[in-house]
Amino acid sequence: MDKLELFFFKRYLKAPKRNFFRFTFVFMVMGIVLSVGILSAGLNLFQGYESNLKSLLLDSFAHISIQSSYGELISEDELATIQKRLAKRGEIVSAIPSMEHPLMAQKGDKIRAITLRAYDFSQEFPYQKYIQDAKGELQSGEVIVGHYLAEELGLGIGDSIELNYPRFDRITPLGIHTAQNKYKIADLYRSGYYESDRSLVISTLKDARALLFLPEGYSRIELRLKDADKAGSFARAYSEVLGHDYIAIPWNLYAESLLRLVAMEKWLIFIVFSFLVLIAGINVISAVSTIIIDKRSEIAVLKSLGASPRSIKRLFAFRVGTVAILSVLIGQAFGALLSWFVEKQSFYSLKGDVYFIDTLGAKITFPNLTVVFLVASFLIFLCVMLPLRQIEKMQIIELIRHKR
Amino acid sequence: MILSAKDLKKTYIDSDQRIEVLTGACLDVAAGDLICITGKSGSGKSTMLHIMGLLDAPDSGELIMEGKKIEAKSPKAPTIRNRDLGFVFQFHYLVEDLTATENVALPLLIAGQSEAKAMARAKELLCILGLSERLKRYPNQLSGGEQQRVSLARALANRPKLVLADEPTGNLDPVHSKEVWDMILSLNKGEFRQTFVIVTHDVEAAQAADRVFELVNGILIPA
Ligand SMILES: Nc1ncnc2c1ncn2[C@@H]1O[C@H](COP(=O)(O)OP(=O)(O)OP(=O)(O)O)[C@@H](O)[C@H]1O
Ligand SMILES: [Mg+2]
Repeated sequence: MDKLELFFFKRYLKAPKRNFFRFTFVFMVMGIVLSVGILSAGLNLFQGYESNLKSLLLDSFAHISIQSSYGELISEDELATIQKRLAKRGEIVSAIPSMEHPLMAQKGDKIRAITLRAYDFSQEFPYQKYIQDAKGELQSGEVIVGHYLAEELGLGIGDSIELNYPRFDRITPLGIHTAQNKYKIADLYRSGYYESDRSLVISTLKDARALLFLPEGYSRIELRLKDADKAGSFARAYSEVLGHDYIAIPWNLYAESLLRLVAMEKWLIFIVFSFLVLIAGINVISAVSTIIIDKRSEIAVLKSLGASPRSIKRLFAFRVGTVAILSVLIGQAFGALLSWFVEKQSFYSLKGDVYFIDTLGAKITFPNLTVVFLVASFLIFLCVMLPLRQIEKMQIIELIRHKR
Repeated sequence: MILSAKDLKKTYIDSDQRIEVLTGACLDVAAGDLICITGKSGSGKSTMLHIMGLLDAPDSGELIMEGKKIEAKSPKAPTIRNRDLGFVFQFHYLVEDLTATENVALPLLIAGQSEAKAMARAKELLCILGLSERLKRYPNQLSGGEQQRVSLARALANRPKLVLADEPTGNLDPVHSKEVWDMILSLNKGEFRQTFVIVTHDVEAAQAADRVFELVNGILIPA
């Protein structure tokens, strides 16, 4: 800023009403506030979706799952060795052995494919927070059922559910032998992650082994880490430590492509909504053009007194720019309000079978705020500078003669 | 010579019609001169003055300022307009959003002076021109004569070699008109010895000038 620019800018700040809150700016401000608001709200909601989905994925699945390389069960002895080998790993929060097996659940003539997961309830149970009533330890003969699954089968707490295990290894003259057992639904599982809520059945280890005709042992060890984002590199390290009898599978092996897709969609939405800001930019162009025409005698005077066109351009840029930047900030606040409202409203919720999760949530992050601010300011800046080029072309003599 | 205009020619082409406004006008301005240019309306007085003030370019002819050729289109022109020339327009052309003092400070700020210095000098000038009571007024709070005196102060701000004034009293009633003329005379005759070239309709007032020219058929002839 040179002396002249600084001088004018100080005058503008001294009399904001006269210089900033002008009628010419009303539509420009409205356009910026609305478009930036929608842009930020869109980004906030998508960010919320992304981080909700990620945290649900991280909570619903083991961060690293250790399994036998040959699909065999892990015996108690092996479990002890593995635990010993990983004991010094400070990043591991918990290591919980479990069973997992695909099964069929049945109620009357309704049949659903489910995943049975079994835990030792006298030890740690990792999904306690998703259990609706949390009445304490699960007993033998009882199961916890995903709430959508229960709904689809028309079941509730206290009802009984039948689990079937078709044994393809035991084909008899009468057909495939199917082991089946009835269990009482002790509780419902409600994580918000649609896939789990509609397919998960949790039982005690003892019941699962009995149903599956399996000896002692576990199908896997579920590890949870302090920092799930590092699961990939830790998994590689554990595979090395444990030798090739076991494999360590990080969570993101399955979920990464999904999360990448969601992140890509987020930025796609951002780009699309950025065009709204560009449309608001049209108002900016017209506001700036109006001011230039309004102030052409002032431009003529400054030019005749020897001010450079560059300096005059910057005078106008500072003036409109201040209003525009303020509008962008107000727009961001408006966007935060808008996304908060969408989060709190109850008219519309996500379809879990399409979006994996069923709650809308907004998340405001500092990097996103910065990105919106920079992108919006840059686009608006272009729209301010575009009409200002006229100033260079304006001839003093024409401006002076004009007034006659 | 402060400024010599040599053989200035300017023709406007207005829908097939050639208007030969200047056909070889010459004028030599020496330090301390008070020169008046009169002429019929549309004779080209403003055109002449704009060319001499580097606000417009002639079709041919040249301007020599203290031995050096100057041109409206050269990159040095803004600096010359700022430092060496002062211009008073027929219409006041004050910046409406600035006070009288701030308006007068503009050429000083453009020249790169600090705000404090510029404002101090502006106040000093306005006091000399008898506007000490009007320092903080905005242009629309000033009378026509006062506005024109502010314009005069602004033209004087950088102590220019030459002040060019285009009908500085053209829109004023006789009382205010005399006010401005007296000011110009005292600036010219007093300690400033300020050099002026003034375009005016007011033949009577022009009598006070050292030299008076009339613009006829595109040339200046001594009246
Ligand atoms: N841009 C232009 N295009 C065409 N003709 C022009 C242009 N500018 C000025 N003229 C003509 O040139 C002539 C001289 O104009 P100028 O303004 O210099 O006259 P003037 O002597 O100052 O008149 P007045 O006393 O009314 O101010 C006029 O006839 C005017 O119409
Ligand atoms: Mg004229």
